[in-house]
Amino acid sequence: MSSSYYDIDAILTDAQKVPTTFELDIPALGYLDNAAGHTLKSGTRLDLPLWLSEMLAVSSTASSTTPSKSLVTLDLPPSLAPRVMNALKADPKSVDLRALAQHFYGLGERILELFEEDEVCNVLMASWRKRAAEISDHASQVGQGGRGGMASGDGVEFLRGLDEWERDLFRRCHDSGKAMRVWMGEVKKN
Amino acid sequence: MALPLPPGLTPTEVAFLCEMEMVTVIPRQKLESLNLLGGPTQPLRPPHRTPLPLWLALLLKRQRRANILPPPWLLPSSLERILKQETDVKPQTFSPPPPHPYLIRSSPSHTDTISPPFLPSSTANAPSDYLPYHWLELGEILLEACSDDLQEPGRVRTLLRDLREVRMAKMRGSTKDLEGGGVSSLMGVGAMEVSEGRGFIVGVMDGLRKLGSSREAARREKEDDEGIGGAGEDDEEEDEEMGFE
Repeated sequence: MSSSYYDIDAILTDAQKVPTTFELDIPALGYLDNAAGHTLKSGTRLDLPLWLSEMLAVSSTASSTTPSKSLVTLDLPPSLAPRVMNALKADPKSVDLRALAQHFYGLGERILELFEEDEVCNVLMASWRKRAAEISDHASQVGQGGRGGMASGDGVEFLRGLDEWERDLFRRCHDSGKAMRVWMGEVKKN
Repeated sequence: MALPLPPGLTPTEVAFLCEMEMVTVIPRQKLESLNLLGGPTQPLRPPHRTPLPLWLALLLKRQRRANILPPPWLLPSSLERILKQETDVKPQTFSPPPPHPYLIRSSPSHTDTISPPFLPSSTANAPSDYLPYHWLELGEILLEACSDDLQEPGRVRTLLRDLREVRMAKMRGSTKDLEGGGVSSLMGVGAMEVSEGRGFIVGVMDGLRKLGSSREAARREKEDDEGIGGAGEDDEEEDEEMGFE
């Protein structure tokens, strides 16, 4: 979960789309909106990768005559919409985060850097905590007693809905549990 | 993820460290004192009880030159009391570690900082009813190597497994209900449990820290802004003090 220049997860997180509204007419940028060669009209709403829209949003028109104005405005991505937040508040375990965004928490982290959304921050932290406990339960169940597969039917559903952070956590829990069992097995061999 | 090993010690490494713990043996043969790195061992004179490092005791046990005397906390009665403490008396916290054998006085002395495996927490005169730092691995090793020296090895095995499960559940739950993002006190947790729980706890904490990082940054900024009015003079004073040094 480290974010560095070469971290593939950080790159993929930045590649997720965010709704962006252009505030200015931009000549020759129409190809973004499937109209190559035309001017991109102001007020156009496009889904752009986070890394691009972030740069556009923080940069402003550097002109001495007009007051400075940002190129685009960002909106909350649909995966962090109030509807999702309410669902997470109601029952964090039943939401399929992977369907919303592969890097759900990563996206949340980046968005929280740009927006001051206390509510979203609270909900994300609470659901991370709740789901982490569930993940660790599943991770310790898997492979115990040599069954290998999932023991409970509803577990499959939940595990399929994990985002990348959660998968990483699952892997860690599982690995530490496995290392422990391997050691205990070794003790028995000697 | 450049390193093949996760941070922290693996269970095998923890077990290796655990073999430095002192245990009490009842020798069956004479053995002169050995000059080890950790100091000379006491000469073995059957049937006098002698403290030896666990690895040497295991070696002698395997060669049938000695019997290992299990530490008092590994007796079924003691384990039962600890389990009761964990489940009924104080279901929220871990059972406390054994008290420090050397008196902690107000004046600091070199014995204050001695920690396992340099404390005799698993010899025959160790206190019962407390789980020492290396309880899980020591218990497992002794169960495998010398179950014939233990009282009711089957019961001990079951009790150890129960204890481990109860305490792992507590450890996993410790991240769930705290507001600030820290974990509740991990006092009394053994080395092997730390090794097993590290991945999960560090992972959860990392996630919470990342999600809360922007809020934290905003809070810091705000504090700095508020502090500017009064702090300006203080800063100057500090600078001057630094200059005089």
